[in-house]
Amino acid sequence: MNKEKFFAGLDAGHINTKAVIMIKEEIIGHETVPTGFDVGAAAQAALYGALQDARVSRDKLSGIGTTGIFGDMVQAPPLDVIGTVPDYVAVAKGALFFNRNSRTVIDMGGNIHKAVRYDPKGDLLDVIQNDKCADGLGIFYTTMAKAVGLSEAELSESALNATGNRSIAIQCALSAQSDAIDLMCQGVDIGDVADAVSKVIAERVADMCTYMSLTKEIVVAGKLAESQAVIKHLSRLLKEDLAVLDFPEYVGAVGAVMSCGVGK
Amino acid sequence: MNEYASINEKLDWTGAKRIVAGIDVGAVSSKALVLLDGEPYAFSQVRTQRPGESAANALNAVSRRTGLMPENIHYTVATGRGRSQVTFARETVSEIACGAAGAVRIWGPSVRTVLDAGGESCKVIHCTEKGRATSFLWNDKCAAGIGRYMETFAGLVQKKVTEIGNIALQSEQFPKLSDFCPVYAQSEALDSIRSKVPLEQVIAAYHNAMAKRLSILVGRAGLKKDLVIIGGLARNPGIIHWLESILKVSNLAPKLEWDPAMTVALGAALFAESSYRGPESRT
Repeated sequence: MNKEKFFAGLDAGHINTKAVIMIKEEIIGHETVPTGFDVGAAAQAALYGALQDARVSRDKLSGIGTTGIFGDMVQAPPLDVIGTVPDYVAVAKGALFFNRNSRTVIDMGGNIHKAVRYDPKGDLLDVIQNDKCADGLGIFYTTMAKAVGLSEAELSESALNATGNRSIAIQCALSAQSDAIDLMCQGVDIGDVADAVSKVIAERVADMCTYMSLTKEIVVAGKLAESQAVIKHLSRLLKEDLAVLDFPEYVGAVGAVMSCGVGK
Repeated sequence: MNEYASINEKLDWTGAKRIVAGIDVGAVSSKALVLLDGEPYAFSQVRTQRPGESAANALNAVSRRTGLMPENIHYTVATGRGRSQVTFARETVSEIACGAAGAVRIWGPSVRTVLDAGGESCKVIHCTEKGRATSFLWNDKCAAGIGRYMETFAGLVQKKVTEIGNIALQSEQFPKLSDFCPVYAQSEALDSIRSKVPLEQVIAAYHNAMAKRLSILVGRAGLKKDLVIIGGLARNPGIIHWLESILKVSNLAPKLEWDPAMTVALGAALFAESSYRGPESRT
């Protein structure tokens, strides 16, 4: 097994930097750290965290593929980057890696969301990204969990058990937050607030998806995909079955490894 | 800061004739202020999660420090966005009326404009020398949440919300961010990582943009002097600095002995005091 080559994928996003360590087609380690304002330092921290998780030493790495909004900024030594791909390319390749039958991936990140359509080889056919007024949905979800005093997982769970049917403004994360806080201050059940928060995010993402035809199978990536409540509403609004990929947060990072042709 | 209480140790509630409380249930934090015979005695602040519970928690924070129990309080007035959930209050009063009353008590009769910059909403209130509100302007939707976004922003730059205001004072030159919408400003701040703008400049730019947004509200409502600023954002020196610079006013910084976040709760307590003393005490 020691003759096998180890590769790392780094996905430097607006909010978090994700790293995976792969050997052939297997993920053996992963780590997420906040990007903050030092992209290089975050990349190092994520990489070393993932190496530790994989129990692989740094010198065993054969190369690093990068992606994400700041993917081109982590090329400085000692990170021996062998290739950098745009985030929509990486997420398509990553989605195909996790699900061979997928042809569309909806990627819901911390600050931006997008949908990508691709052929059976994972090559791009079409891509759409949110407009600026829909920025920050992931940040909004995190902020709201904190506001009602729940973890993000609990927020989703609580939303799934909601009995009421509350709605909040759809324009942007800011007015949605304002409306959600209004509900909270009126003494509305936390579950109903959580449900309204999940629903408005799904509505915003579904809005974007109307600009592109979605080819089956449709899969979902990004940290927000971990929220079953968001997925439930999104699936209902799009009238489509959605499969959440394994490790949704790491789809881009895995795609970076795949795109560099090193996973073969 | 999840829970905090400060007590005026010079006073003792056991001998007080009138014990009244103002509870301000804001969108981000709930505050309680207790007056003994008209003198400020205790102030506490807790995070708002479930508004009814948070109001009780704010009073409990006072009880734990002083032994003063809710049943010892003769009259309680609730205000703030979640005021309807405070079941133990005898009366509710709008945060507009309380903000004006509290500000005039702290800064005196020369106050004519109060900028209340809170967690979720911002208001500009005009008032008389006696602290009676005469008109107000509530923020439009695109200026909501500036206070809470400040916390989110601090998290993104991995600093504490209590330290970014001072960091914002370190740069006078910085790239301009959108001063229309906090969502845009935050997104643009993140994108400025790409152009390798120093962190202090990004923080200064964000504060400048938010102060500009607040000053637009003040401009629209009309600036009558003296202007004072209350609410949680008044604790932020970066916001104060840029507001003074944009609005061309001075001495906006809070008085050392008064936490600006307690102003609205103080106003509520003043209403409680006057209701408890009866109609003859009203001005």
